[in-house]
Amino acid sequence: MRALCWMGTSKVEVHTVPDPAILNPHDAVIKITRTAICGSDLHLFDGFIPTMEEGDILGHEFMGIVEEVGKDVSNLQRGDRVVVPFTIACGKCEFCQKKIWSACDNTNPNAHLMEAAYGYSGSGLFGYSHMMGGYAGGQAQYVRVPFANVGPLKLETDLPDEKILFLSDIFPTGYMAAENAQIQENDTVAVWGCGPVGQFAIASAFMLGAARVIAIDRLSERLEMARSIGAITVDYSEEDVSVLTALKDLTGGIGPDSCIDAVGLEAHSNQLQGIYDRIKTAVMLETDRPSVLRQAIQGVRKGGTVSIPGVYGGLLDKVPFGAAFGKGITMKMGQTNMHNYMKPLLERVEKGQIDPSYIISHRITLDQAPEMYKVWRDKEQSVTKIVIDPWAN
Amino acid sequence: MSEPLREKPNAQPLPTLAEGGVTVEGRYLPPPEDKDGKIWARTSVLIKADRLALYEMWRDIERAPLWQEQIAEVIVTAHGRSHWVMGSGDKTIEWDSEILADEPGRRIAWRSVGGESDNAGEVIFEDAPGGRGTIVTVLQEFRMGKLANLWETLVGRKPKQAVIENLRHFKALAETGEIPRTQGQPHGPRGVTAGMKESMYGEKIATPPGLTRTAITGGKR
Repeated sequence: MRALCWMGTSKVEVHTVPDPAILNPHDAVIKITRTAICGSDLHLFDGFIPTMEEGDILGHEFMGIVEEVGKDVSNLQRGDRVVVPFTIACGKCEFCQKKIWSACDNTNPNAHLMEAAYGYSGSGLFGYSHMMGGYAGGQAQYVRVPFANVGPLKLETDLPDEKILFLSDIFPTGYMAAENAQIQENDTVAVWGCGPVGQFAIASAFMLGAARVIAIDRLSERLEMARSIGAITVDYSEEDVSVLTALKDLTGGIGPDSCIDAVGLEAHSNQLQGIYDRIKTAVMLETDRPSVLRQAIQGVRKGGTVSIPGVYGGLLDKVPFGAAFGKGITMKMGQTNMHNYMKPLLERVEKGQIDPSYIISHRITLDQAPEMYKVWRDKEQSVTKIVIDPWAN
Repeated sequence: MSEPLREKPNAQPLPTLAEGGVTVEGRYLPPPEDKDGKIWARTSVLIKADRLALYEMWRDIERAPLWQEQIAEVIVTAHGRSHWVMGSGDKTIEWDSEILADEPGRRIAWRSVGGESDNAGEVIFEDAPGGRGTIVTVLQEFRMGKLANLWETLVGRKPKQAVIENLRHFKALAETGEIPRTQGQPHGPRGVTAGMKESMYGEKIATPPGLTRTAITGGKR
């Protein structure tokens, strides 16, 4: 089959590789019909996530048709149409039973690597470094899906792939971000980052009862998209705009009830702290650039909630923890517990309450993917979301 | 005699096991120190399965190669005695082992008796607080020698880490009926550094095959 492989920092290539096979009794092999490039794939592309190996197949947002199942998979059969969550969960361990699926104990073959860094290991992820399991990803024509008895959502609908695909990660991720923000009826919510996860966080915040959503970014097409679903936008790159002042101005001086950091470790900042983080990460004294997190903590109201769907990987400098304590805020974060959200969100799509395909800007072939990774990184061509048909020429 | 605290609705009786256990009379007991050529490994996991079923799975030592890394074969030679072959290809070591203590559902202890390895160990099965499954604790000691050398040089894992990984495999197998693996999956061309990383991350060690039967169930929840 053809697959997109990580070959080093800022280097991805399409290679012909062997087809995946069933390796364990709960495996399935899926023929991929649509797959996407995620914002978090850029952290791999840019070399921010350690333990990548040349030749790793990338991709964790995909859907397709079941090709083959292992002997202990009874819920799926060849020909079933499925969308697959990016976190792999066993369904049996303490954490899966508590429905904290992304903390599954039994799906990371390299759990010791993550234990060394984080104390304990989370679940395995598709195509997202060897610390996270080293599983081959889905920017390819086929993929092996472990624990297919637990993860994939079987589709009985005839909705097109583009309306379903984002149930594999970013729609549930945006939704969990809004849920983690502990939104009450008529709250005001601020969202940093109007990329795909930010878009779905904005949409979900409204679904969960927010009266007003403030969306912060610097890219006009993304801000426009946020306005199209009802948000008030703040362009932080405009001269004289201070995000913290804007948040006060837009909330009668009390600050948003919840702040959502949908940016993560590679935040851009036009302030002095942005330069500070660039220098410190360049000389490896800091691993992440947390300027959005700092702003979210600073900006949230007293007793409010900061929700963090944006990915962080390591050690952060100058996080205003005194402000967090002083205001008595709550912080919630983590990889998405996908399995809780896929079915209910599919129902919302089926009922026509939301059409997630509104974020797509580019539809490409696998061969175009290496070039599009650069476009995606540099935010050129008004890119908002790239979807790949791995069988198209 | 008056008790200073009476209101503790879910408190459990304190564990009383000594030996390989982690507490003695309410005090936490750190793992034994490595000295005099002996190294120790102690590790524990929470398994959502019944204590007796887990004991039986461990006690079935001829099936140990299904979940223990680098164990090629185990043959029961007499009651409580067995012959172990470790390694792969023509690089193997062999030893005999005897069971010192065997308490169904609670504890198994063993030691090597001759051959190319000098090791001893104990596994303890205890109910987790609140009926949340079984806490399985393994304490194992090795004398540095051929075994440790083989493990470190040929296999690429420190013996301590191998004990941790084996218990992890045991848990995965007991809870799910399989051991997670990536060996055998497709990838693009691996460069020189990828090969080094694979060794460093322990990815060249063959993941044990796991069982072909379904998971053990019957935990309290």
